[in-house]
Order: sequence, then C-alpha cells, then structure tokens
Amino acid sequence: MNGQILDFETLLARVSKPARYTNGEWNAAHKDGGSVRARFALAYPDVYEVGMSHLGLQVLYGVLNSHPSFLAERVFSPWPDMEEQLRAHGLPLMSLESRTPLREFDAIGITLPYELTYANVLNLLDLAGIPLRAADRGEGDPLVIGGGVGGVNPEPVAEFFDAILVGEGEEAILEIAEAVASPDRATALARLAEIEGVYVPSRYDYVPEGDGPLGRVLPWDGAPERIPWRVVEDFDRSFFPTRQLVPFLETVHARVTLEIMRGCGRGCRFCQAGMVYRPRRLRRVETLLQQAEEAVAATGYDEISLLGFSSVDHPDIGELAERLVARFGPEGVGVSLPSLRADAFSVALANTIQQVRKSGLTFAPEAGTARLRAAIHKHVTEDDLFAAAEAAFSSGWSRLKLYFMIGLPTETEEDVLGIADLVHRLAGFARGALRDRRGRLQLGVSVSSFVPKPHTPFQWAAQDSLESLGAKQRLLQQHLRDRSVKLSWTNPEASALEAAFSRGDRRVSRALECAWRRGARFDAWGELFQFARWQEAFAEAGLDLHDYANAALPTDRPLAWDHIACGVERQLLEREAARALAGEGA
Amino acid sequence: MAQYVCRYRKGGELRWVGHLDLKRTLERALRRAALPLELTQGHNPHPKLSYGPPMPMGVTGEAEVFSLHLREALPADNVKERLNVQLPAGFEVMDAWIVPGYKRRETFGELDVAEYRVTMPTAVSVAEVQERLQALLARDQLVVTRRGEHEEREIDVRPMLLSARAEEAGEGRVALHLRLRTGSHGGAKPGEIVALLGACDPEAARIHRAGLYAGAEAPPPEAPRPQTALRRTWGRPRRGH
Repeated sequence: MNGQILDFETLLARVSKPARYTNGEWNAAHKDGGSVRARFALAYPDVYEVGMSHLGLQVLYGVLNSHPSFLAERVFSPWPDMEEQLRAHGLPLMSLESRTPLREFDAIGITLPYELTYANVLNLLDLAGIPLRAADRGEGDPLVIGGGVGGVNPEPVAEFFDAILVGEGEEAILEIAEAVASPDRATALARLAEIEGVYVPSRYDYVPEGDGPLGRVLPWDGAPERIPWRVVEDFDRSFFPTRQLVPFLETVHARVTLEIMRGCGRGCRFCQAGMVYRPRRLRRVETLLQQAEEAVAATGYDEISLLGFSSVDHPDIGELAERLVARFGPEGVGVSLPSLRADAFSVALANTIQQVRKSGLTFAPEAGTARLRAAIHKHVTEDDLFAAAEAAFSSGWSRLKLYFMIGLPTETEEDVLGIADLVHRLAGFARGALRDRRGRLQLGVSVSSFVPKPHTPFQWAAQDSLESLGAKQRLLQQHLRDRSVKLSWTNPEASALEAAFSRGDRRVSRALECAWRRGARFDAWGELFQFARWQEAFAEAGLDLHDYANAALPTDRPLAWDHIACGVERQLLEREAARALAGEGA
Repeated sequence: MAQYVCRYRKGGELRWVGHLDLKRTLERALRRAALPLELTQGHNPHPKLSYGPPMPMGVTGEAEVFSLHLREALPADNVKERLNVQLPAGFEVMDAWIVPGYKRRETFGELDVAEYRVTMPTAVSVAEVQERLQALLARDQLVVTRRGEHEEREIDVRPMLLSARAEEAGEGRVALHLRLRTGSHGGAKPGEIVALLGACDPEAARIHRAGLYAGAEAPPPEAPRPQTALRRTWGRPRRGH
C-alpha cells in the first residue's frame, strides 16, 4: 500500500497512541476560523503527553481563544512512527482541532521549553512544509514565532524564527497577534519588532570574536541594541486558564495546575529560571481559591498542584494549603507540591495537604557538602535536611527523593564523596526512625550534571568533561552502596549537548540543521538520543561542541547572548561568580 | 444509595481512545457533573465503577455499558442528562436505569457475545466475501497470531466465531455482520476475522460494535435491541466464576 494516498483515519490505525493526533479533549476550543483576524498554530516540540503538561501552552491557548479576533489550535511533535507515515504518504503536519495543514495558519507559535527539543523544532517546520530558515520564507508562509525559556539565549535557533518573544507571554501574545493580523509579511515583522520583548533575528548580525560563544549580536539600522525581557506587572490579575484542557491520554501531569508564584527569591547561582524570572511575584490566596474552584469544576481533575519554583516560599502557603484541603478534601480532590524546601516546615505542610494521598517527598540539596552548597548559594543546612527527614519518617513517609548535581563549579572529589556520605547518614538515620517499617525505606538519589546557563553567575563556568563526569559517577557508584538507595543519572552526553545549545551562538544553528538532517529527533528521550550524530554534525558545521560546553569563558569578553537583557545585569553576575569562586555566600 | 447501569455510545474520534483512557475520561466527567458519587474506602478513594468488555482500539460502539454507585437515589434520566452535558463529543449515555436491588459490584461478566458491523472498502464482490466467510465457518480451526508484550501467541479463534454474513454496502464497500465471543474468558477480535478474509487492509476497515449479549450457546436468530438484551439478563442469577 506504500505510496498510495490514504485517509488520515487509516493512518491512525498504524501508529502507537493514535489519540496523540486526534482532538475533542474536554475544553478544547473549536472556533470558526472565518471570523478571526489571526490564526495561530501553537506547537510544542515534544510528544503530546509532554506538551499537554506544559502550563505555558495552556495559558497562550486560553488567552488567544478567549479573544474574539484570534484563534489558536495545537500541534505536537509526531512520534517517529507517525512521522514515517506522514512522510510515506506525503501528508503535511496538521493541527489537532480542525486538522488544518500548519502552513495555512497565519502564525506558528513554537515553545522553546528546553534545549534538547531543538531538532524537533526543525522537524515540525519541515513536516509542515515551511522553509526552515526565516530568510527563505515568503508572503505565503506563516510567521514562525518562538517563545518560552529558550528566549534567554535564542541564538542557536534564531535563524529559524521570524520573531522570538523574550520573556513572559500572557500579555505580549495579544500584541503579537495584532501584529500577525497585518496585511503583509513586511508590515507584520515591522510591527512585531516594535513590541517590547520581541526579538526579530533578521534585523541583527552575529559577529564572532573567536571559538565558542564569544561574539556580538549587532543590530541593523534602527533595531534596538538590547531586547528587554518581557515581564508581567500584575501577576495576580494576569490571565490564568481555569478551563484547562483535559487530555484523554495519560500525560506527564494530569491535574489542575495553579501557578501560585512566579520567580524565586533564592538566587541559586546555577539556576537560570531563578535568575531571569524576576521579580518574584505572588498570587493572592483569594485569587487562587477562586481559580481552584473554577478549574476543578471545569476539568474534573482529582488533584491540584501548587506550581512555583519554590512554592513553599509563598508567604501564605500555610493558609492556602489548609483552605484548599478543607474545601476539596471531602470531594476526594488532593493537593500537591511539585518539590519541597528541605526543612521541617515543608514536611509539616506536606503533611497537611497530603491527607488524601501520600506520595513520595522530594528534596534538592544539590550538593554533598556545606562548602559547595554555600558556593552555589543553595541554602540547605544538614540540620534542616535531617529535621525534614525526621518529620517525614515520623509522619508516615518512607519514600524520599533527593536531587544532586555533579560537575558544579569549584567541586572537588571531597564534594562528590560528600553526596555518598550524606546519603549514607540519611539512610542510617531513616532506619532508626522507621524501625519496624524499615523494610519499606526507599531513597531515590537522582544525580544530574551541571550545565552552565546564560544569564546566571555560572554562565562563564566550564562544564566538566565527559571523562570527568563519568569518573565522578563511578566514584559515587562505588561509594554509594545501600540496598535502600536507588541511584539514577542523567546522561552526561545529553548534558553536554544541552550545554552547547544553552551557550550556543548563531553558528550552532548550522550544527543543529546538520544533526536534524542526519535524523536527530526527540533528543530528550534517552532511547532516541545519539551523541555520535551530534558530534558528527558539529564537525560537519566546522564547530567543536566542546568550545561551547566545556570552555571556561573569559569574563571580559562579549557573549553571544549579551543583547538579551534579562533584568540581572552582567556586573551583578560577575560579582556573584567571583563570590562563588571565593567560596562566599551572598 | 443506588446503583445505575448506563448504556453508552463511543463514536467519532473517541474510537482512538483506549479503554483505560476512556475510564479516566468518564471519572473526570462524573466529577464535573458533581453527581453524589459513592467512593471506595481507603487511602486512595475512587468512584465505584465497572465496565463491560473493553473494545479494541479504533472500534466504535453503541451498546457499551458501565455501572456506577451514587450515595443518593436520583432519577436515572437526571443522571443521564447531567452526565451527557459533561461528556466529550463521541461519548454519550444513550440510556440509564437503576439496578433493582443494590449489588456491591456489577462486573458484566455475563456479557460474552458481541455483534460487530464491519464496513470494508474492497474490490472483492459481496458474493466472493460471502463464500470466503462460509469457507472460514467450515474450517475446524482458525489460527491467528497475537502479539503480546513479550512474545507472540497462536490462538484458534474458530470457536469464538459464532456467525458471519456479508452484504452489499455500496460505493465499493462490503459490510460484514459478525457475532463473536468476547469478554474475559477469551474472545476473537473483529480485525482478526477481517484479516483472515483478505478482502481489505484490516486498518482500512471501519468496525462498529452494535450489540453485547449474554449467552453464547444459543444466539438469538434476530438480534434484540441491545438495551433489551441487558435488561433481560439482569435478573438472572449470577453464575459462579
């Protein structure tokens, strides 16, 4: 049957999880395209189940579809089996809601959620039949607009986008939609460029000043030298989607998400989100209770998750938790926190809210010694951690998950062994505390590799070499032998690629395109990621991945992302970096 | 307290939603409908629901059933209407009724025969399809291969093929009426019979489950209306499993 044109329904019978490509989920929007001025396809460059768990997508979908003049439909990266079918039968990528080919939309809005999805971005455009590079697009092509946390350093994907929103989207999206509604492409681009936070890469050139990301992005005549990070002023009153989409398929997070807080006042030196989403803003308890009421009624979910980089830091978190539990507990609707601060207060809070369901608790000490925790500015003391553990075990938890990082700046072997030592002492403590229930103790220890991120004090720091990360993993493995401990890793090769994109410049886009042509897809999925393919692609592009990932960058040279103004100025980052190296806290 | 049986339709795009996902969809719709659900006891309370035999992926149906328990006895039509307002397109309760005599749990275990209507786009004539069906029915064994999670298994589906006939469906299509044994004690999948016929790509066939019945040994010569079939078997004493 190959080569024969088939209807889409028959094609669905041939792929895994066909509901990834159908529509009709509860709260999906079905708007008449005839009456609107701008039609958006909102694309998420990963599989449906991941993309549907992303709050940002639901926010933009809600804002656009609540407006009478605009329309938004969704599309996700097709899994390789579906890609094969689409290509074999010459079918273009289509939106879920109305099964409209993507190239018929006025704009494609693509979220840039993490670096390892970049090959999927190219694949989406190619499957849609849209020229990959903005320079090759013409009047009949949709505008391709990026956004999301990738805006912190848009350079590795800059040439594939007509415009990229740098910063927060819920207000900017309506201004962008007005610009998209322009009669022609040139007018649209001109109007996009006028929007605060919108970067139009074609109005800039990149002038490299050496290997790696040393160089300047310089504006053409009239374009602003720096793009300010867009910030929502009144977060409490900003749009929040209470009619959240309810997928049929089991997704990563199937629950009502309440964003209780944006930003984080903690200032961990490795954390990009904590640095760029500033200032810290809160939603009021009354607002959140109202949103919970509407969202539970509109979705039928049995869980409410309180989202924030450090939700427990919300000053009214205790009151919020108690009132949510009192209101929804009797209906069998639970409340959860994505991660906890490691202290007794957090556990007491978790105890309040997890009366309905008792899942595991997660803490992130990040480093194994007090010295390194001070250097990275992660304020967790051992006393706090043990107090948290004691509170957890005495209130019935027996499953704890701990997040650590290896390869952090200033790390020594002592710090790596410190992780093993800390976990051993915690396990011993837990056995004492659990006594008769000790057989059930489970300590999940998840160890990731440090990735230097732009606009953080560690943006100049080198990522550890693959050899060094491997050696540190083996060291931990040798020293962390305990039947209650389950050790897991992130793949250092994936972290190296993440670092190369995170600190990439415009030249890296060539490597990206080469890798995509060599078949790179879904690099965040361990089973599909092939590091060799990426090394070949960088070589083909005349670049060395390690110049981007593993070089310590000089602090007195321009960087490829200096034109993005994230709010925290470079001088402050330099000062923080110097303090970290000197072993000082803030 | 009251127990209800709902007969529902699963159609349109919803046919790509598997049984487990459909169950979750119903649970969420029930919560949106704010029906006074009776929840199970324990750490993870959930509504007491049971379902008829699952349908294969891609199949539509109109005789599907589930049962639910409410803390208070509402009129069955009220339950049906409140639920239908909250169900996504393609999922519709056609009929709801209160089970006389509260049972702790209804498993629908007695539903073991399914009637399918299959529409096949094919160049093969209806007479030829009918002949091939007769040939299949005349065989002692019909061995098909099923792919499990780890291994392939060979299964004889001949005892599960109870009756089959073909008719013209117009526009280059032939319709099959298949009566197959189904349920937890083993059953044939309609796609397997379509594949054995070799008249069309099984993936291109449109399969619809038109009825579910209890009692395979003596299939009624004419299909009763599905809901009637259910009501009829309702008072029957339960066989031990």
